[in-house]
Amino acid sequence: MRRTGGGRRIAPGVLLAIALVIGGVALVAIQAGRNGGFGQAAQQAGDGAAGAAGRAATGPARAGEDFFSRVAGLWNSADRIEELESENRELQAWRELAERLAERNARYEALLRMPADAFGEGADVDNSIAAQLVLDSGGPFTRTLVANAGADHGVRVGYIAVNENGLIGRVVSVGGRSARILMLDDYNSRIPVMGEASRVRAVLAGQATRPPDLYTHPFQMQAPRLDFIVGAQSLREGERIVTSGDGGLYPRGIPVGVARASNDGQWRVALAASQRPIDFVRILPFVGIERPEDSLVDDGGPPLASASSVNAVGRETVTPAPTTPTPPPAAPRPPRVVQPQAAAPAPVETPQPQPEAPPASPPAEPQE
Amino acid sequence: MIRPPSRAALRAWGLALAVLSVILPALPLGPIFAQPPMPLAVLWAAYGWAAEDESGWRAPTTLAALGLLHDQLAGGPYGLFAVLYLSAFLVGRVAAVVMSAPNIVSLWGGFIVTTLITIGIAYIVAPLGLGRNVSVGPYAEAAVITAILFPLVRPLYMSASASQRAGARR
Repeated sequence: MRRTGGGRRIAPGVLLAIALVIGGVALVAIQAGRNGGFGQAAQQAGDGAAGAAGRAATGPARAGEDFFSRVAGLWNSADRIEELESENRELQAWRELAERLAERNARYEALLRMPADAFGEGADVDNSIAAQLVLDSGGPFTRTLVANAGADHGVRVGYIAVNENGLIGRVVSVGGRSARILMLDDYNSRIPVMGEASRVRAVLAGQATRPPDLYTHPFQMQAPRLDFIVGAQSLREGERIVTSGDGGLYPRGIPVGVARASNDGQWRVALAASQRPIDFVRILPFVGIERPEDSLVDDGGPPLASASSVNAVGRETVTPAPTTPTPPPAAPRPPRVVQPQAAAPAPVETPQPQPEAPPASPPAEPQE
Repeated sequence: MIRPPSRAALRAWGLALAVLSVILPALPLGPIFAQPPMPLAVLWAAYGWAAEDESGWRAPTTLAALGLLHDQLAGGPYGLFAVLYLSAFLVGRVAAVVMSAPNIVSLWGGFIVTTLITIGIAYIVAPLGLGRNVSVGPYAEAAVITAILFPLVRPLYMSASASQRAGARR
């Protein structure tokens, strides 16, 4: 402030700063909870430009890393080859075992008619998009990553990002050639999960206090917490945690991590995706499973308001009467219908039904 | 005889450092360049420019632009970092007026107070744009690191002499 005569005059720079602060707060408040609009469009355009700049800026660094690691590898190449050969022999045995188990698993799945769930049930694996992560989140408030695939490559908001180990996050913003992925451990990330063996349901709440890091360290420093656990006593240390599919944002069955009991008595999840630094990701299209009411099929079933469940069971189990005359089967089975005592008395050797025993078949009208 | 760099050269280096502190954390260069531990150099610039009587339009405009760039790269709502940097500038202006003895200790103390105030502002403004689950902890950590390192970079942003501070007693 400068004294001018007897009064005080606020410097124009200070006035400008005050106006900008007020404008900034208003801008933040306007964007709260809004998806779309100018802010979103600007963010997407900026992500595209930043992604391109990131590729250009980190290209030499990546090439340099590769060069130095190769030079370092030359020093102990003989030992390394020997080590790899023994490892390879070991892996051959494991491979045979894995192939046998995979074959058996495929037979079981075929037997059970299970859908393919390598990336979760309902995920469109055939149309997945491979992308490289080119930018970390630059700020301490959010944990997002920018991938170099966008709307031009078919990426849409809501698609799922996974790597070879498990779930990374979800696409929250898409530009032309870039997409921003909200990571699992962001404070705003809440994902319904379950224990793979115990089927215990919970909500995975992001807890990370560190920015993500693509290269030299695992991207995640503090394991997310499990909240709202239903039946926590059944959850086991080391149990695999997968997405439960509840809520419809994620497919069911994507590996998330491993359950760990922390010292403070809470359950946390050591993220599977953080086993090694994340570089390439697979972005999976996912459309949530629609409610049956949204796609009703007229199958002649009982109305939803049907009072008797017996009718429904009867329709499922009893073959409907043919509408057109068909030739009788070669060896027709006798109908399993309990005849009324008055109409046809039971033979003497027939055992009488016990009073506490349930009826063998639902009461049905005698068929013609 | 090595001539000490001019004030303008030091200020240019200070601006470059501030710009780098915004851009480098966004690039996948490793944990050293993450934020934290990377300091928020724009806070140094905001405080230094305010204390050096940068009362024209250049300082607030530059800080707002750097804040918006930081918001863009961080994926956060536009305006959040702009508000934090501009509030540091305004607090620095007040500190320049009330500072009676501009030496390194008082300058450092003023900067510590400034960073604490920006942490408080972040605590209020960040949930507006990012929801109530957002944590100010990482920002506070980066701000504390910034405050600790301030004496090392002080010459880039301000001189310790009283002559350039309008509010200081002469």
